Amino acid sequence: MSSHHESILREPLVTGENITYSKVTEDILVPVENKPNKAWWIGFTVSAIGAALWVFAVSWTFWFGIGEWGLNKTVGWAWDITGFVWWVGIGHAGTLISAVLLLFRQNWRNSINRSAEAMTIFAVICAATYIISHMGRPWMFYWALPLPNQFGSLWVNFNSPLVWDVFAISTYFSVSLVFWYTGLLPDIATIRDRATGLRRRIYSILSFGWNGSVKTWQRFELVSLILAGVSTPLVLSVHTIVSMDFATSLVPGWHTTIFPPYFVAGAIFSGFAMVQTLLLVARKVMNFENYITMFHIESMNKIIILTGSIVGVAYLTELFIAWYSGVEYEQFAFLNRVSGPYWWAYWSMMTCNVFTPQIFWFKKVRTSIAWSWILSIIVNIGMWFERFVIIVTSLHRDYLPSSWVMFYPSWVDVCVFVGSIGLFFTLFLLFLRVLPAIAMAEVKLLLKSSSDQAKQKLIREGVVDPGQAAYYQESLEKYDSVSPRVAEYEKA
Amino acid sequence: MESNKKYWKGLEELQNTKDFVEKNKNEFAESLPMEEVLNEAGLSTVTPRRDFLKALGFGLGAVTLAACQKTPVHKSIPYLVKPEEIVPGIPNYYTSTFNGHSVLVKTREGRPIKIEGNPNCILSRGALDAKGQASVLDLYDVSKLKGPVLNDADVSWAKIDEFVKAELSKVGGKSIRIVSSTVNSPSTKAVIADFIAKYPSAKHVQVDAVSYTGIIKANEASFGKAVLPRYRFDNADVIVSFGADFLGSWISHVEFNTQYASKRNAAALKGGKMSRHIQFEAGMSLTGTNADARIPLKPSEEGIALLNLYAALGGAVSGVKKLTNQKADTAILLAAKELTAAKGRSLVVSGSNDVSVQTVVNAINSLLGSYGSTIDLDNPSYQYTGIDSDFVTLVSEMNSGSVGAVFFLNSNPAYEYADPKAFTEALAKVALRVSFADRKDETASLCQVIAPNHHYLESWGDSNPVEGYYTIAQPTINPVYNTRNAEQGLLIWSDNAVQDYYQYIQNNWSKSVLPQSGISWKELLQKGSVTMAPKTGGAYSSAGNVGAAVAAIVAESNALAKAGDNAVELQVYESTGIGDGKLANNPWLQELPDPVSKVTWDNYVAIGPKYAEQLSIGENDMVTVKTDKYEVTLPVLMQPGQASGTVSIAVGYGRTMAGKAAAEVGKNAYPFMRLVNGTLQGNAAATISKAGGIYELAQTQTHHSIEGRNIVRETTLKDYLKDPNAGTGHRHINHAELWPEYEQPGHSWVMAIDLNACTGCGACIVACNAENNIPVVGRDEVRKRREMHWLRIDRYYTINDSGAKVTKHKEMDDLESMDNVSVIHQPMLCQHCDHAPCETVCPVLATVHSSEGLNQMAYNRCIGTRYCANNCPYKVRRFNWFNYWNDSRFDNYMNNEFTQLVLNPDVTTRSRGVMEKCSMCVQRIQTGKLQAKLDKRTLKDGDIKMACQQTCPTNAIIFGDGNDPNSEVSKALKSERTYYVLEEINTKPGIGYQTKVRNTVEV
Repeated sequence: MSSHHESILREPLVTGENITYSKVTEDILVPVENKPNKAWWIGFTVSAIGAALWVFAVSWTFWFGIGEWGLNKTVGWAWDITGFVWWVGIGHAGTLISAVLLLFRQNWRNSINRSAEAMTIFAVICAATYIISHMGRPWMFYWALPLPNQFGSLWVNFNSPLVWDVFAISTYFSVSLVFWYTGLLPDIATIRDRATGLRRRIYSILSFGWNGSVKTWQRFELVSLILAGVSTPLVLSVHTIVSMDFATSLVPGWHTTIFPPYFVAGAIFSGFAMVQTLLLVARKVMNFENYITMFHIESMNKIIILTGSIVGVAYLTELFIAWYSGVEYEQFAFLNRVSGPYWWAYWSMMTCNVFTPQIFWFKKVRTSIAWSWILSIIVNIGMWFERFVIIVTSLHRDYLPSSWVMFYPSWVDVCVFVGSIGLFFTLFLLFLRVLPAIAMAEVKLLLKSSSDQAKQKLIREGVVDPGQAAYYQESLEKYDSVSPRVAEYEKA
Repeated sequence: MESNKKYWKGLEELQNTKDFVEKNKNEFAESLPMEEVLNEAGLSTVTPRRDFLKALGFGLGAVTLAACQKTPVHKSIPYLVKPEEIVPGIPNYYTSTFNGHSVLVKTREGRPIKIEGNPNCILSRGALDAKGQASVLDLYDVSKLKGPVLNDADVSWAKIDEFVKAELSKVGGKSIRIVSSTVNSPSTKAVIADFIAKYPSAKHVQVDAVSYTGIIKANEASFGKAVLPRYRFDNADVIVSFGADFLGSWISHVEFNTQYASKRNAAALKGGKMSRHIQFEAGMSLTGTNADARIPLKPSEEGIALLNLYAALGGAVSGVKKLTNQKADTAILLAAKELTAAKGRSLVVSGSNDVSVQTVVNAINSLLGSYGSTIDLDNPSYQYTGIDSDFVTLVSEMNSGSVGAVFFLNSNPAYEYADPKAFTEALAKVALRVSFADRKDETASLCQVIAPNHHYLESWGDSNPVEGYYTIAQPTINPVYNTRNAEQGLLIWSDNAVQDYYQYIQNNWSKSVLPQSGISWKELLQKGSVTMAPKTGGAYSSAGNVGAAVAAIVAESNALAKAGDNAVELQVYESTGIGDGKLANNPWLQELPDPVSKVTWDNYVAIGPKYAEQLSIGENDMVTVKTDKYEVTLPVLMQPGQASGTVSIAVGYGRTMAGKAAAEVGKNAYPFMRLVNGTLQGNAAATISKAGGIYELAQTQTHHSIEGRNIVRETTLKDYLKDPNAGTGHRHINHAELWPEYEQPGHSWVMAIDLNACTGCGACIVACNAENNIPVVGRDEVRKRREMHWLRIDRYYTINDSGAKVTKHKEMDDLESMDNVSVIHQPMLCQHCDHAPCETVCPVLATVHSSEGLNQMAYNRCIGTRYCANNCPYKVRRFNWFNYWNDSRFDNYMNNEFTQLVLNPDVTTRSRGVMEKCSMCVQRIQTGKLQAKLDKRTLKDGDIKMACQQTCPTNAIIFGDGNDPNSEVSKALKSERTYYVLEEINTKPGIGYQTKVRNTVEV
C-alpha cells in the first residue's frame, strides 16, 4: 500500500540486493516468458497423468453408477464428501490471505496472495467436481439450483443445507475468481507491455485495457478493498455452511454446534498447509527466495500452529460435550471414533493435526524449510483424516446396531481422489506458466518501504537507532538468502 | 336523395386519364403474371443451383436432425378382441393352491404378478410364507425347459407319447414305479390309481426330501394310525419342543405360526394369558428364537432328554441314563412340572425323524392328555406322507434290474436323496426313465424323457392337505412354455377314457367332494376350497413300546456322541427360506436373509462362538465337516445359542442344475442323512477341521447385539401383569417443535407392529419384494451391504448371564458361555416420521410429506445425493447403486425381459442413482381410496392392507387410519405396550411398536 517508512525492527518482506522494479518484473516473469524447465515438465507430466486418471475414474463412475464406489446402505458418503470438504478447506487460505490480511494491512500477504488465490480457485474446482460426481444422477445437478423451470412449481428445498452449500460454494468461487482476476490486471498489463505478437494480443484482451493511469490505479485499489470487504464474511460463511451439512443433521457425531468455528479453523489450517506445500517448492524451483522469504514461511507456520491448536481444542471439546450430554448415542459415537474399528483414522488425525504441529513452537523448526514442508504434508493428511473420521465413523455406527457396517473404499474411490490431486496440480502448473505466481505490482509497492535493501539504506544513512539496526542485522541470519551480506556487515 | 359529394380514389380517377380507364376494366389493376407462371416455360424453370443446394442442405439437415430422435419402440400389443373379464389396470384375482394352502393369485392383464393368502384357507387364514410369496417368480423362470425333451432333443408331445407308450409296452414283467414327493391331490392320486389299473406292475412311491416318516411310523405303532396328526398349538398353554422348528419349516409352519401367535398376541395378553414355550435344540432355529426358554441340546442328548422327561412325568421306563448336560437336566424337570400343571393344554413335539424318539413323544403326549386337545389324530395332515423305507426299497429294486420304468413327479432324488450315488447307479439300470421336472434338474438330466410339468399357476390341480379340507388350483395364465400337466401325460399313457385333466378333475370332484359339500364347481372356483365339518378329535392313549425305544435311543445316542479331538455332532436342518431346495432357483428366496443368521445366498456351518474358539476356528474360516459317508467344505457362521459340540448345516443348497440363481450357492447337505432303522436321520457323528482359506458370507446384518439401547423393548409376563406399561421405558421427550405440525385432515396412515406376535419368519420381506418390484442384487452386493429390501427384520441377541442381560458386543466376548441367548425380531421399515429427518435435508424436495402422513419419494425428482439416507436414524432408505433392471451384472430377474412380466405395473421400477424406500404400499392406498370413491362410500378400516401385513401369519403388522379412533390400528396403538423407536429424537414416527413380553420361566 503506502510507501511510508516502517520500523527497522520489522523483518524485510523482500530480500536481496539491487532489487529494482524492473528486476522484480524480470524475476517473477521468468517462468511466464520462457520455455518451461525440466522440473516443470516432470511435475506437469505426473500431474497430467493424475488428471487423466481422474477423468477415467469419474467417467467410470458416471458410466456404471455410484455403486462402483465403496459406499453402502449405511455409509452414504465417504471418500466423496471427505474429498469435497478437504478441497473446500484447502481453498480457504486464499480468501483469508487476500481479504482478511489485506484489511488488516498485513503486507506480507502481497507476495503469497496470488498463488494462494489461484490455489483457492483450483481447490474449489476440485471440490465442485465432487459435488457433481457424488450425485446418483449427475446429469440432473442443475436441479439443485433455484432455476425457473418447466416442472411446474418445483423449487429447491431452502431448508436443506445442501442447497445452502450450493449457494456458498458458488458465491465463494465467483467472488474468489473476480478478486483474483482483479489483482491480476496490472500484472497482465505488464506482461502485455513486454510481449509481442499473438501473446501481446491475448494478454491485451486479458488486461481489460489497463493503462496504468492514476485513475486506473485508484479504481484498482478501491475495487480491491471492496472485494476484500465482500470476501471477508465468505471466509467464515463457506466452511460454516459446509459444516452445517453435518451440524444440522441428527447423526450422532455430526449434530454438533461447535462445527462452524471448528470447521473454519480447520479450513484455514489446511489451507495454509497447502500454501506451504506449494510455495516451498515453487520458490525454490522458480528462484523466488527474495520474494517469499523465511519470514513469510514462519508467519504461515504461526498461523498453522494457531489454527491447529484451535482444532485440537475443538476435538477435546467434542469429546467432553459428548460425555457431558449424557446422550448414549452421542457418547457411543465418540467412543467409537476413539476406540472403534476406525481408531487408527482418529489417531492419525490427532497425531497429524494436533500433536505434530506443536513442534512449530520451536523457532528452529518453524524456520526450517524441510520441516515446514514435511509438516505441511502431515497437516494435509491429518485434515483429510479429520473429514474421513467425521463422516465415516459417525455414519457407520449410528442409531440402530442392525445397520452397522464397515466402509471399505473401492479402487474407483482411490482413483477419483488421487486423480483430483492430479487435476489440482495440473491446473496449478498451467497457472504458473501463463500468469505471474507472485503479485508483481503488489510486491513493487513494498520495495520502497519493506525491502531489505530499503532498510539497509536507512541504516547506511544512519537515520535509525544503531541498537535497533544491530538487532535487525542479527535477525537477518534466519533469512536464507542474505547470509553473505551479514558477513559483509560484520566486516564493516 | 342523391349526394352531391363524389369521392375519388386518386388523381387518375378524378382526371379520368386514359390509362386509368384502361386499367379499370380489369379486376386487378395490374396484370398478374399468372400466364407466365403457369405456362410451360414457367413450370419448367430450372431452379438455380444455389437454391437447389440450399434446399437440399436444409432438407438433409432437417431429416438428419429429425432422425436423431430415437423413436421409442412400444412393444405393447393391444387386445384384438378384448376379453370380457380383463380391464387394463384392474387386477383379477383367482383362487389357486400352493403347497396345500389356498391362495389368491393377483393377475394383471392376464399375467400373475402376486400370490396372496386366501382368507378362506383354514391353514393360513389369508397369510402365506416366504416360499408361497416367492413362488410366482418361478413361473417366469428362464431356466425352465421350453418344451418336452427326448434323449436330449427337443421333440413334440406326440413323439413323447409315442415313445413312452412304446417303452411301457416293452416293460413286460418288470415293474413300473412312479416316484413323487407327497401327493395329497385327490385327482393326481386318482390319475395314478388309474395308471396303476392300466399297468398293474406299477406302484406309487412317495418320498419327501425332508421326511416325517418317524412320526407316521410311531403313530402307527402307538395308535394304529399311520398318519401325521394335526397339531393344535392354539390349544397349548405349554409347548415343549425338542428340535422341531414348527415356526420355520416343520410340517405346516404357516398354520403353526397363526396358532402359536393366537396364544401370545395382544388379545391373549389382554386376557392376562400367554403360552409358555420351551425349546430344546442344537442349532438356533427360528422357533428357538421365539422360545421363552431355550436350552441348547446336542442331537445325541435329545432322545435321552425326552426319556428323562417321560420319566419325570411319571412314565414307567427303565434303563434311562441321566443327562450329563446339567442345564438341560434342570430344564427337563422344570418342563415336566410346567407340563403337568397344564395337563390337557400342553404339547410336546420333536423334530426327530426317529421312530423310537417319536414313540416316546407319543407316550409323553399320551400321559399329558394332549390327544383330543393339542393333537388331533382324527383329522390328520396329509402334507407329508412319504415313507423313507419305500424309496430305499425302490433303489434296491432298481439296482436288481427288476424295474422297467420309472417316473419322477416333483421329486429329485439325484439331489435330495441321502445316497445319490447309489440312486444314480441304480437308475441307470432302468430302461425307461421319465421326469416331469420343469427343468433339466439333477434327476431329469439322467432321464430319457423330460415331460415338463406346468407351473402351478398354469395348471388345474387340487389338494387335500388335511382331513376334510380340499383346495382347488386353477390356471391363471396360458402355459408360458410348451409344457403339459404331468397328470395329463399319465392319462394319455394309460389310455384313460378322459384324457383332459381339467375334465378329469371336474369329474373327480363331482364324484366325491362337491356332492358331499353341496357346493357347485363355480362356487368352488370362487372360494378356492371346501371345508368339511371336522371330525371330533378323540383322546388316545399310546400303546407304543417305550421299553424297546429306550434301547434304540440309547444306542443311537452313543453312536452320535463319538469321542475324539475334532468330533462334533452334525445336525442337518431345513432352512426357513430355501426349505428343501425345490425353490432354490428363486432369487427372492436366495436373497431373503435367513431369519436367524441373516445370511443370504449360501449355506454354512453354524457353530457356537465359544466352541469355535476352543477349536481355534474363526469367523469366515472355511471348515470341512466329515462323516463316514460324506464331507463338505463350507464357511463358518458363529451362531450364539448353538449347542457346544455341534454344528448345523442347512439342506436345500448346492443345487447344480436348478438354474442360474441356484448355481454355486452353498453345498448339498442331503448326503449327510443317515438311514437308521428305516428312517432318514438328519444328524450324524462328524469331525470338523479347518480347510484353509476364508469366505465372507453375505449377511444383511453383521452386528448382532443391541448395545444396551432401548430400540427394542421387552418385559416379562410377570411384570406385564403387574404393570402393562412395563418395559416400554418411555423416556423424557422434548416436545419443542422446530417444524410446523403437518395437518392430516383426511387420513393419517399409521402402522402398529407387535413385537410379541412377530416370529421373524420373513414372509413380509418377500411379499414386499413382489409388491414393490424390489431389485435382487446378488451375493456380492449384499456383502457390500447394499441389499435393497424396503422391509427388513432386525434380529438382536441378548445373552442371559446369571440373571444379568448382556447386550453389548464387547461384554459378550468376555463371557464364558453364550448358550443362554434371548432373541428378538424387529421388523424395520420406513417409519413415515411426521418430522422426517430425510425430508428437511433433500436439496430438491424429492422426498416430501403427504397430507395423509406418508413420507413420499418422488423418484423422478431425486438427484441421488444420499443425504436423506445418511440422516435417516432408522437406516431404511435404499439407494439404487446400479441400474438393476438394465445391467447384465445383475441378471437376477429384473434384467430379463420375460421375467420382468412379474413386475407390478402399479409400481415404477427405479433407475440408477435414485433413492427408494417403503412407500407404505401407496399404490394399495390409492386403489382402496378409488374403490371406495367408485362405490360412493367412505373408506372402511381394513379396506387397505399392506403387502407385509397381508402375508403375516401372526397378524403382527396392523395398518390403518390413525384419524379413525375405531380402526384396528388406533386400538393397537392405544395399547400400554406401545412405544416408538427412537422417540426421544422426536422424529414422530408413524409406526408404533408393542413391547415383547417373555413368559420367562422362573427357576
